[in-house]
Amino acid sequence: MMPPVRAPMPKIEFETYALANGLTVILHQDRSSPLVAVDLWYHVGSKDESPGRTGFAHLFEHLMFMGSRHAPYPAFDAIMESWGGHNNGTTSNDRTNYYEIGPRNLLETFLWLEADRLATLPDVITDEELERQRKVVQNERRQSYENRPYGASELAVPDAMYPAAHPYHWPTIGSHEDLEAATVADVRAFFDRFYRPSNASLVVAGDIDLSATRGLIDRFFGWQPARPRPDRPPAPAPVKLAADVARTLTDRVQLPRLRLAWHSPGLFAAGDAELDLAAHVLGGGKSSRLYRALVFDGRIAQDAFAYQGSLLLGSLFHVGATAKPDHGLPEISGRIEAELARFAEQGPTDDELERARNTHLADFYKGLDHLQTRADLLNHYHYLLGTPDGVDRDVERYRAATPASVRDAFARVLAGKRLTLETLPEAKTA
Amino acid sequence: MNDILSSVPSDIPSIMDEAPAVGPLPPVVVPPVNRFTLSNGLPVVTIRREVAPIVSAALMIRSGAGAEPSELAGVASLTSEMLDEGAGDRDALAFADALERLGADLWLGSGRDGSQLSVQAPRETFFDALDLAGDVLTRPRLTQPDWERVLADRRTGVVQRRDQPESVVNVVSDRLLFGDDHPYGHPVEGFTRTLERLSLDDIHDIHKAYWQPSNAFLVVAGTFDEPALRARLERALGPWTWHAPERKRVVPPLPKRPRLCIVDRPGAPQSVVRLVAPGVDRLSPDRPGLAMLNAVLGGSFTSRLNFNLREKHGYTYGAASSFSFMRHPGGFAARASVFAESTAPSVREMLAELAGLHERPVTAEEHAKARATLLMRVAEGLSTTGGIAATFGELGLYGLPLDEPNRFVAALEATTADDLRSLAARHVDPEAACIVIVGDRVAIEGPLRDLGLPAAVIRDPDGDAI
Repeated sequence: MMPPVRAPMPKIEFETYALANGLTVILHQDRSSPLVAVDLWYHVGSKDESPGRTGFAHLFEHLMFMGSRHAPYPAFDAIMESWGGHNNGTTSNDRTNYYEIGPRNLLETFLWLEADRLATLPDVITDEELERQRKVVQNERRQSYENRPYGASELAVPDAMYPAAHPYHWPTIGSHEDLEAATVADVRAFFDRFYRPSNASLVVAGDIDLSATRGLIDRFFGWQPARPRPDRPPAPAPVKLAADVARTLTDRVQLPRLRLAWHSPGLFAAGDAELDLAAHVLGGGKSSRLYRALVFDGRIAQDAFAYQGSLLLGSLFHVGATAKPDHGLPEISGRIEAELARFAEQGPTDDELERARNTHLADFYKGLDHLQTRADLLNHYHYLLGTPDGVDRDVERYRAATPASVRDAFARVLAGKRLTLETLPEAKTA
Repeated sequence: MNDILSSVPSDIPSIMDEAPAVGPLPPVVVPPVNRFTLSNGLPVVTIRREVAPIVSAALMIRSGAGAEPSELAGVASLTSEMLDEGAGDRDALAFADALERLGADLWLGSGRDGSQLSVQAPRETFFDALDLAGDVLTRPRLTQPDWERVLADRRTGVVQRRDQPESVVNVVSDRLLFGDDHPYGHPVEGFTRTLERLSLDDIHDIHKAYWQPSNAFLVVAGTFDEPALRARLERALGPWTWHAPERKRVVPPLPKRPRLCIVDRPGAPQSVVRLVAPGVDRLSPDRPGLAMLNAVLGGSFTSRLNFNLREKHGYTYGAASSFSFMRHPGGFAARASVFAESTAPSVREMLAELAGLHERPVTAEEHAKARATLLMRVAEGLSTTGGIAATFGELGLYGLPLDEPNRFVAALEATTADDLRSLAARHVDPEAACIVIVGDRVAIEGPLRDLGLPAAVIRDPDGDAI
């Protein structure tokens, strides 16, 4: 048997170039099915929002579907769905992506729609449209966080971990108050600042003719005027908590949950891959250390988790567990402490590291099977590394990790100050 | 002063004026399949796809939670989960470790109509993962200590289900629509009271009755050498032995449904709304047309339900509908999580959209959209290794011919807008819907009464009367 870690690396073939106006283009041909995927990244996320306007990057993403000069609302969705295409967008702290997937005969339509909204969106945006999408986003917040068990604890983490002026201090979904404060003038200013060809990268993937696709991209995007990349404030200094922070929430839940968080190295920084692997050894599967200590053997918790939440300006390393009925958080906490301390001292065994690495790489390969995932990965590498050619470099980070490097990366994280966040069941009203 | 608009160019070329012409939809190409039978009678289908270096296998068992006795609800899925809690030479932890070393995912579970063992692994380790799957099928340990642990976790999980309004609305609406004696009337995970009755003997019984090659179908998709695959399948799964087929369950008629049911969730910021009504089965000739009709009603972003509730009114992040095409007639459901204050208007609009399929029949544009949407959904389903395994696995689950995807495509192409209108007349009835809402009773009950709805039946999160 040849373990995945030593198997030949899969490739994502691509070609890349830039238009004169600064738009980066990446083409990836895959003729295994008659589909195309268009994946357009704008290098703006919730980290670029202004105080008092949290959640704006994501609200703006919704407004991108509210029509443009030549494709008035609801043409964006209506045209592509009438031909069997579909689309979505997502906003993170660091970037916003928009993608369309559909039959190959829709490629020209996808590009025209994306080009028209990049060129003309501020023409048509109105108070009514802003108001409608504001309500949709507020319902998204309720559905994804407020009416979901332990959702409130997710919103509390960035608030506790980052100082008020830091771009990661607020969640991507924003606050109701800030969402309500947003105006059409904000929309125009945000568009003007960040939605520029020079601040975007376009991947076209799938059943495409490369030369014809270059021609289409040139036709719809090539005429758009060049504008400089947006000014950005210098990256903030890495954050350190001055002291441990403890918070307690109540929620509509049956069982208490403990969450711990530490600051950790940013995406692709030294130690980031090691912490992914450490998280797997601690909380990734049935015989992971925390699952085994708390759930499998200990039977004091219903679940246990660990993950490295990798972001551009700095990451958070998360650990947590949900208590079983008749067990409490102090007991959970003591057991977690012991496991973390042991891991920081001893690191993973060779076998644990091998399992974590094989699992990670196998998951990576599985992702490569999906056209839009591949398209998004090319954009991801372009954004982070300045080139879409990132598969080898990414995989090499995991291949190079050793038990000592995983131990050291984890020990550095654990030595920092931490957030301890308890979610307790609401008191039952009689 | 107009500099804020400076980002919109003043001279836009004429190629932007009109939407580009769209050529014909590409044909949906169903990949060729190989079919053979192992020495123990297990039918196998293989399909090649060589984009990523992975292989997916789906072993479908034609019995799931719908086949278990209602009073033992949860036993089918617990049996599935127990099978990899130690198998062959390995205990539960050693088994999990062996999978991780291979970078293999092995998933076991049950749905209503079937149970499943899925394996996905890199090409280099897939055959070794197959050997582990073979141990699961032929030599599961099923020990008492593992059973006690798995059952305790399940019992806690069923308690936690009350925290999740989407899960609660599923449990309660299935009970009301199908009734407690129906195969689909209880949740797959069971109830606290049914889990209390279960013992390891029940797991052994269900294992013997369900998990056998006479009741199974295997699909393998991805990158592999076919002769080597056949040899390794025979080695890994050949020893799996055949028993008598399992007994079929009796399917009672559906009970009378209440018009309105509320599960109280005090202070909830949203109401989770579900309208349920009887649907059709997987073999119904109406299935392609109903799938298209649903794309118009609530099965696409621009569907009537989503456009009304999300885009026009801003009541919700999304509204949708679906038919469940199952072994026995399944349900129709329309769903949305809505701002608590918008609960009654949301119900009003959802009912209006069901009635609207009669008052404003499906247009030519909607028909064209539904056709293209469903055709491309087939193409997308066949565009990943896991999707191919799932597509053909579902055919095996329901005993359908392997050219069913082609037949489905042909039926989509042949279904007219008139067909959709007549399907709407036969299958969509707002008066037949039972409205189930998980929300803040104090806040929503009055406005719902003002809509003219009868008094609500009140249920707890398990669907029991209070």
